[in-house]
Amino acid sequence: MKQRDLELLSSYLDGQLSSSEATRLEARLRTEPDLRSVLQDLRGARTVLRQLPMRKAPRNFRLTPQMVGKNPPLPRAYPVFRFASTLATLLLFFTFGLNLIGPQLASQPPAFGMGGGGAPDTFAAEAASQAATEAPLAEMPATEAPAEEPSVAMAPMPTASVSAEEAARAAETETTQSDATENAGDTALVPPQTPADETITPPVSPVWQWILAGVALVSALIMALMRQLAISRWRNKK
Amino acid sequence: MNEQALIQDAQRGDLDAFNTLILHYQDSVFNTALRILGDDDLAADVTQDAFISAFKGINSFRGGSFKAWLMRTVTNACYDELRRQKRRPTTPLEPDTEDGEEMDSPRWMADPGMTPDQKAEADELEHAIQHCLNNLPMEFKTVVVMADLQGMDYSEVAVAVHVPLGTIKSRLARARLRLRECLQGFEELLPSVFRLGEESTA
Repeated sequence: MKQRDLELLSSYLDGQLSSSEATRLEARLRTEPDLRSVLQDLRGARTVLRQLPMRKAPRNFRLTPQMVGKNPPLPRAYPVFRFASTLATLLLFFTFGLNLIGPQLASQPPAFGMGGGGAPDTFAAEAASQAATEAPLAEMPATEAPAEEPSVAMAPMPTASVSAEEAARAAETETTQSDATENAGDTALVPPQTPADETITPPVSPVWQWILAGVALVSALIMALMRQLAISRWRNKK
Repeated sequence: MNEQALIQDAQRGDLDAFNTLILHYQDSVFNTALRILGDDDLAADVTQDAFISAFKGINSFRGGSFKAWLMRTVTNACYDELRRQKRRPTTPLEPDTEDGEEMDSPRWMADPGMTPDQKAEADELEHAIQHCLNNLPMEFKTVVVMADLQGMDYSEVAVAVHVPLGTIKSRLARARLRLRECLQGFEELLPSVFRLGEESTA
């Protein structure tokens, strides 16, 4: 028996053949006893199977809330508020981060390749304090430690500090003056900025942060309210 | 029963609505599990698990035959149970006869309206059919149980088993033929019912 014929007979038994297919099969059944025999077998098997009694369920399979770990049904709008609250909170944190990092990034010049001189805007601010430490170095031999390492240079000469201080005071005025004149060219190119003078404008206005915080808070409150109402309604229903 | 409305309510989390659906389908689901697994207690457990899974996953139901969708859930639960049994084989509690054959389960003789002879005959028939069903490969058994025992049409079975319609036709035909061959072995045991050759006119 071909598999195809077996399928045809089984489908014919269930009335699943088209009328043309059924007519063709019926014609074959009249002339092919083997086919008839298999059809009888299939029909017999189906008849016996259908004699199996349908048993009643041995117990009730109704579910309890505990079985399904169920929470009270929440209103349809609940996910909307949950989404809004989450999004607003995330954005709020993002704006905080942006306002914190943004000004720092904006104030940093492209310092790459500037050499040991430091940034022009910081140079002016640091010049005065550096002058005091750099001044004694002017008296030191040229073979001593380089000016870039003042702490190393200062360490071995504590006894010379008294006389050096006097010289430093004299040199300080000269140095600052000369620095000022040296920096005059720089300041002409880049306007001097000291932290006190800077008026930092945050990238995100605080108004927006307040709005985001408000949205997050209000959404969270509405969610809590919805949940409470759903729970109380659910309990009353039970 | 407005099935569609109950399904929609259940999808919104209404457990009462789903319990109404359970009451309507629990016999079908239990019988399917019983015939696939061949054990009352296991079938009851699997039925309960299937309903729990069905409730938790009811939002995945996108229309069509709810019965087919439910049958798919119970079939999956049966597969899980059979896999679990394979991992941890158990010994049946039914006592064996002197020949070492398993005795007919007394649970299968529960209909109070039958005479003892009828009970014995029905029990033998049921036992014989269940025995032959148990010998079928799982994929054949599932299809034949749904089509011939549950009376589901081919398209519903295809949805439930998640295979193409052609495969359902093929599996059903082969399952019926195998059952026929198996049931022939019980001809002496069931003389009054099992005369398959004479059923052709039925």
